[in-house]
Amino acid sequence: FYWHCVQQHARFIERFGLKELLRAKLTECGWRDQLKAHCKDVIKEKGLEHVTVEDLVVEITPKGRVLVPDSVKKELLQRIRAFLAQHAT
Amino acid sequence: MKMEDMSLSGLDNTKLEALAQDIYSDLVEDACLGLCFEVHRAVKQGYFFLDDTDQESMKDFEIVDQPGVDIFGQVYNQWKNKECVCPNCNRSIAASRFAPHLEKCLGMGRNSSRIANRRIASSNNMNNKSESDQEDNDDVNDNDWSYGSEKKAKKRKSDKVFLHSLKQHIPLVSFIAVRYLFMFCMLCFCPHVIARGPIDF
Repeated sequence: FYWHCVQQHARFIERFGLKELLRAKLTECGWRDQLKAHCKDVIKEKGLEHVTVEDLVVEITPKGRVLVPDSVKKELLQRIRAFLAQHAT
Repeated sequence: MKMEDMSLSGLDNTKLEALAQDIYSDLVEDACLGLCFEVHRAVKQGYFFLDDTDQESMKDFEIVDQPGVDIFGQVYNQWKNKECVCPNCNRSIAASRFAPHLEKCLGMGRNSSRIANRRIASSNNMNNKSESDQEDNDDVNDNDWSYGSEKKAKKRKSDKVFLHSLKQHIPLVSFIAVRYLFMFCMLCFCPHVIARGPIDF
């Protein structure tokens, strides 16, 4: 049952282009550039040759979650809620 | 779309809200991970710091905006009137005539078979045809590359030569026809293959 929910979840996101929408909005508002600058710091700290994906993920993801602008967050939540409301009754 | 299978009707508002938040954090995490993978690949492939060059080396590659010169600062029509030596017949040809000459010389271009066939036809009729006549015909047909002179070349063809050249081009013609047919069918029968953007509610 759990796996079924996960699948539905993934299909839902794909079907309504929410991923692409979020990425477009984040690029537009400069979130990507901010985070990329942070990446540069991490890489300089860890050394260009030895940096791994895990290093980046651990450093970047929490900051990324925090840096999302409120307007983008609100809009996305609105869309999700609207869809859920449509299909909940 | 089988969203109805998810049976959201049983969930109350708080659960719906929690679900929405879940979906949202999933999406943000996905975006973050995407960025991490991109950056990591750029680092390992060596192109991550490419846009951080210093001012001095940037000046070397600035776009040039002068008349008579292209954006790299090179003069662009200096090769127009140079002469090239044909590797096949070792004649010296002007650069602007070089491509059509090569076509005829190597017998590989679209028009080359026509000329060759005409030569065969004419040499069958007159065995004493001189070398220089054939070469002259060659140069005259170089004009195929400029507008308006194709009429002369076409009117001189005999029926026999025309049919023969058409037969040679059958594989090419059929290939092109099949390709257009395929594209047409794709457009008619498979429009969903064309990508769609996000859908508004």
